[in-house]
Amino acid sequence: MQAGLQTKETGPVGSLEDAAEPLLELRAVTKTFGEVTALARLDATIARGEFVTVVGPSGCGKSTLFNIVAGLEEPDTGGVLRFEGRSCHAADLLGQVSFMPQRDLLLPWRNVVDNAILALEVEGVPRQQARAQALRMLPEFGLAGFENQYPHQLSGGMRQRVALMRTFLFERGLMLLDEPFGALDALTRAMMQRWLLDVWQKYRRTILFITHDVDEAIFLGDRVLVMTARPGSVKLEQVVDLPRPRRPEIVTAPEFIRLKRILLEAIEEESIKSFQSATVREQTS
Amino acid sequence: MSAAVMASPSLAAQRGILGAVLLVAAWEGLARGLDLPSYVLPAVSDILASIWSNRMLLTQAAGYTLFEALAGYGVGCLIGIALAVVITMLPPVRSVMLPIATAINSVPVVGYSPLILLWFGIGVASKVVMVAMAVSFTVFLSTLAGFDRVDRRAVDLLRSFGAGRFKILFRLRLPTALPLMLTAMRVSTVRSVIVAIVTEMLGAYGGLGWIIYQAVLQIDFVQVWSAIFVASAISLTFFGLIGAIERRILFWT
Ligand SMILES: Nc1ncnc2c1ncn2[C@@H]1O[C@H](COP(=O)(O)OP(=O)(O)O)[C@@H](O)[C@H]1O
Ligand SMILES: [Mg+2]
Repeated sequence: MQAGLQTKETGPVGSLEDAAEPLLELRAVTKTFGEVTALARLDATIARGEFVTVVGPSGCGKSTLFNIVAGLEEPDTGGVLRFEGRSCHAADLLGQVSFMPQRDLLLPWRNVVDNAILALEVEGVPRQQARAQALRMLPEFGLAGFENQYPHQLSGGMRQRVALMRTFLFERGLMLLDEPFGALDALTRAMMQRWLLDVWQKYRRTILFITHDVDEAIFLGDRVLVMTARPGSVKLEQVVDLPRPRRPEIVTAPEFIRLKRILLEAIEEESIKSFQSATVREQTS
Repeated sequence: MSAAVMASPSLAAQRGILGAVLLVAAWEGLARGLDLPSYVLPAVSDILASIWSNRMLLTQAAGYTLFEALAGYGVGCLIGIALAVVITMLPPVRSVMLPIATAINSVPVVGYSPLILLWFGIGVASKVVMVAMAVSFTVFLSTLAGFDRVDRRAVDLLRSFGAGRFKILFRLRLPTALPLMLTAMRVSTVRSVIVAIVTEMLGAYGGLGWIIYQAVLQIDFVQVWSAIFVASAISLTFFGLIGAIERRILFWT
């Protein structure tokens, strides 16, 4: 399985096609929940190896987008979903994408290692082998020595790293991270961002990353997608042309500031819209 | 924190022992002081003496009742858990099964005893069936509630890893349901002994309930109390044992 993925990414056969062909493509994807339209004709393309960040006002459908790409929700008919060059249903993506939901969702009866290997276990990897694999990864995730601790014994940052490790161990071409650092304090968050970039550069995964923090979106991403207020679609696609590896000081670079201004303006517009529609709804109800 | 956890059960145990000692002392004082007749309240010391002199008979009866209670308990737990699993795995079955189960359960189990005695005879089988019924309903309803308590987002996480129903059952639903399931199993220990004894009183070839029934006919109230004491001891031991197992298994709660 793993070997199969690797040949797809780096093997000489068909690599020219692969380079040209996007990993994930969404065309006119719409999702309604009863009365509520969460996503409306959303278009997006993710290339292999790319780190794409997604920002947008809360409630604009970011998590819904992830649920679709993870295979958990089926979009309305009419849209097109293509993964690895093939048109597919959302359900076909179950087990194909490594998904980290907004909450860490660690299982309280499993220790750090056993939480980390949950996806491997589901895949059918023998427990001992999966544990050995996880133990080798622990230091890199700043969890060395904590393998036998239980979730309630860990800090928020550590729990988040366990959840990230669980996601990384489920080796798939595409990783979906839904506000992974949203609940962390500023200092821990900055550390985690740098750490994530290191790990990403080492493992070369394709990452789709939701955040509500514009600095984070620019600092991490090759590209930032700004979503419109609900019903969500992509309002702006901003390429981030900052050199890598990125140092923390980069946030003061003129190019960073310029990008931030563009993005903030776009987000501001959408936030006002979603705020207004919320107040209008309140007044009418 | 661990110190508090360690200290609190022992404190509770101390209080429990103190309470029991006070109760026995008051009982003994009342029965002796007022010279109550044994059909009102025999003295504790008389009951204990009677237990000792009838130890062969009582041990045999206790073994008989304990076997019925344990067999019924084991079968009942298995049936209760199995039913909850089936209903959870096959949602359409739920809407058919749940009303039936609730209807059967709405009558106290003892209400079915004449039928059960008629169908299974007055031997051990009818007691095992009665206990199994009582236990299985309690365990079934709690396990089902436990399965329903599972976090939808956690189910989705496992689905995203490609997990099917069975993997979700074993890795998520069963551990989530375990606290409620084990609480029901602990409460059911006492119920299983009670139901076994009550059913024995309605017709049996042996057991503590049968002894109580015979003793009442012979107006031997010290013997009645002796059997009750032995039954309480069995219930409490059973309860404590399952409670200890529960605490060991549920280390994370
Ligand atoms: N399963 C669901 N059922 C009904 N409405 C939903 C469901 N999931 C999301 N929604 C609605 O869709 C909208 C977008 O939600 P979400 O994708 O969670 O937003 P975001 O992650 O951007 O904050 C919200 O209005 C939310 O109430
Ligand atoms: Mg969200």
